[in-house]
Amino acid sequence: MGKFWALVFLCVPIFGVAMFIYGPAKGVWLPENVGAETAYSIDHLFKFILALTGIVFLGTELTLFLFLWRYDGKSNKQPAKFSHGSHTLEICWTIVPAATLLFIAIYQMNTWAAAKMRTPMAGGHDIPFTVEVTGRQFEWRLRYPGEDGILGTKDDLFDVNELHVPVGEEVLVSLKSMDVLHSFFLPNLRVKQDAVPGMKIPVWFRAMKEGEYDIPCAELCGWGHYKMKGRLVVESREAYEKYLADLKTRQNAVSPPGTAQQTAEAEPEDAQPVAAQPQQSAPPNEATSPLAKTNE
Amino acid sequence: MLNSWRNTGWLSVTMLVVLPLAAGCGESSPARFHANLVQLADTNVSDKHQQQIADILLAMFGTPDDPFVLPETGLDLQKLKIAAGPVKGYTQGLFRLHCVHCHGITGDGMGPTALFLKPYPRDYREGWFKFKSTPSNQPPTHADLVRTLQEGIPGTAMPSFKLLSEGEIYALVEYVEYLSMRGQTELELINQYKLADAFDPDKEDFPTTKEFLVNTVISPIAAKWKNAPSQSTQVPTPPKDFGSTASIERGKQVFYTTGGCVKCHGPTALGDGQLVWDMWSEAIHKMDVKVAESADPAKLSELSYALRVDALPPREGEPRNLRAGILRGGREPYELFYRLNNGIFPSQMPGIGTTPGMTSDDIWHLIDFILDLPYEPGSQYHNDEHMKAPPRELL
Repeated sequence: MGKFWALVFLCVPIFGVAMFIYGPAKGVWLPENVGAETAYSIDHLFKFILALTGIVFLGTELTLFLFLWRYDGKSNKQPAKFSHGSHTLEICWTIVPAATLLFIAIYQMNTWAAAKMRTPMAGGHDIPFTVEVTGRQFEWRLRYPGEDGILGTKDDLFDVNELHVPVGEEVLVSLKSMDVLHSFFLPNLRVKQDAVPGMKIPVWFRAMKEGEYDIPCAELCGWGHYKMKGRLVVESREAYEKYLADLKTRQNAVSPPGTAQQTAEAEPEDAQPVAAQPQQSAPPNEATSPLAKTNE
Repeated sequence: MLNSWRNTGWLSVTMLVVLPLAAGCGESSPARFHANLVQLADTNVSDKHQQQIADILLAMFGTPDDPFVLPETGLDLQKLKIAAGPVKGYTQGLFRLHCVHCHGITGDGMGPTALFLKPYPRDYREGWFKFKSTPSNQPPTHADLVRTLQEGIPGTAMPSFKLLSEGEIYALVEYVEYLSMRGQTELELINQYKLADAFDPDKEDFPTTKEFLVNTVISPIAAKWKNAPSQSTQVPTPPKDFGSTASIERGKQVFYTTGGCVKCHGPTALGDGQLVWDMWSEAIHKMDVKVAESADPAKLSELSYALRVDALPPREGEPRNLRAGILRGGREPYELFYRLNNGIFPSQMPGIGTTPGMTSDDIWHLIDFILDLPYEPGSQYHNDEHMKAPPRELL
């Protein structure tokens, strides 16, 4: 039993290191990174800090093991000795972590600014919003600006839970919440931002690889939090334009899907004969129209 | 001494780990459908006949874990089995995974979270649904329910289930129809027994043969669901100027005159007009009044108990604020046409399709007006600029 506990504690660093070797080797590690420079510098910071803390972890765990092994109660019969301590050592273990933290604080500044402060610009102005994402218990409501490129106008296009973005382009999202705190999380793009009721928060990213990715909610937002999951579809510019066009057709449909697809806009050109019918019935219409009544 | 303490220490640690596991794996009582207590109490069906109703429903519809349907209902048992039962990964128990906490195991709209939601979750048992393509006295079509599940109902607690596979959505819709038919069958049986009890409460030979039940109870209900698609309202072609400013202006006239919209939605369209009970709340409210006014408390104690345990407090329905830009049943013009033409029956919104003098063109103009309202000056929508810190002055 003498050295038993020393060996148990030795398992901790061995298991810890083994896990961090097994994970990346087997692909059960970070989600695939499909972002641009910022996403990679976030990964770089993560790995850098992991390496730093990993070294300290190994150092402390191995020291613990050595002390347990060497000063085991069964084999050491001498009484413990106490010392006042070492002033130099105390200064060291205060200054070294402080300097390390200061270094990390400065080292990450550029990445933080790129991810949270420097809105993507074009021609001296912020780029227009690609989409407005509104968190709601328990779904993501989406609003695309439509053809005029401005959110909050009549040609806005609405969808839910399935966010489409063009590949390789800067995407600027206006993030809102309709009820409580949510968190808009794009694990594959290393983007995470709380959605706060009453605020419109800009979020931006650039997705570099086509595919479908998750948009989980990363803030416990209520009993249905587990089901608040959206899908991010990164696709080519053409496919994205087609998606928006389809969305527009669907939103402006004047007859249910499955029947002859008509939209209000397509009508004047190819529905002339049909449109003639309402004109024929126009006179009785006018006789009973609300306008006529109010005029009376 | 020390050793014995150590042993107890290990033992308690082991117990801490093992006991919750053992408790978690215990068999819970099987799920069962609840009786419609309020209706039973209201109609004074005798205890013996209440038991008969429960037995008939069990024989014809099974249990939540093991649903069963007669072929006469037209429901697909395979789909029901995917939606029913306890949750097994993502392959079975979909209703309990996604829906039950609001809509309840019986589909009575009284799941654990129902009380906190506004509006309340749908009670399927009457077969009344708000957003559908069919006239008010008809059940919704399969496609209507699929749409509601996929798009959700913005402005209510019903979220979108768009990311579920089509098979899963169809299974859930089938299950909703199953719960609806079961609820309707229960109401019909209560009604039949009420008629029978009125003559002789101890009557033994109420016809409970399969033929009788299928022919007089199930078939008429199933036929309505089956025929729903053929009852869908035909959406006429919109007028040529649909979408124009003139059309919006004419829609405005309809809104303030023949449409009669002002009565509830208010002259500002902010939904600040008259409040109305929706059908579910109205029924409960009437019974509340009945209990309160009753001179014979003993006779009605059963009903007041049922209202307390098997009904949510009635609430007045609020007419929609049309300027907020949230359209619960969808913003597609044809969906709006259904709602304006047919009304939203359970919410007591009348359809204007049959209003004298109203033409389909008028409805299309009204749709134009409604779609434009959120973007009028005075509505809440403005061009969005994201938040920025104000420029700092150098001190």
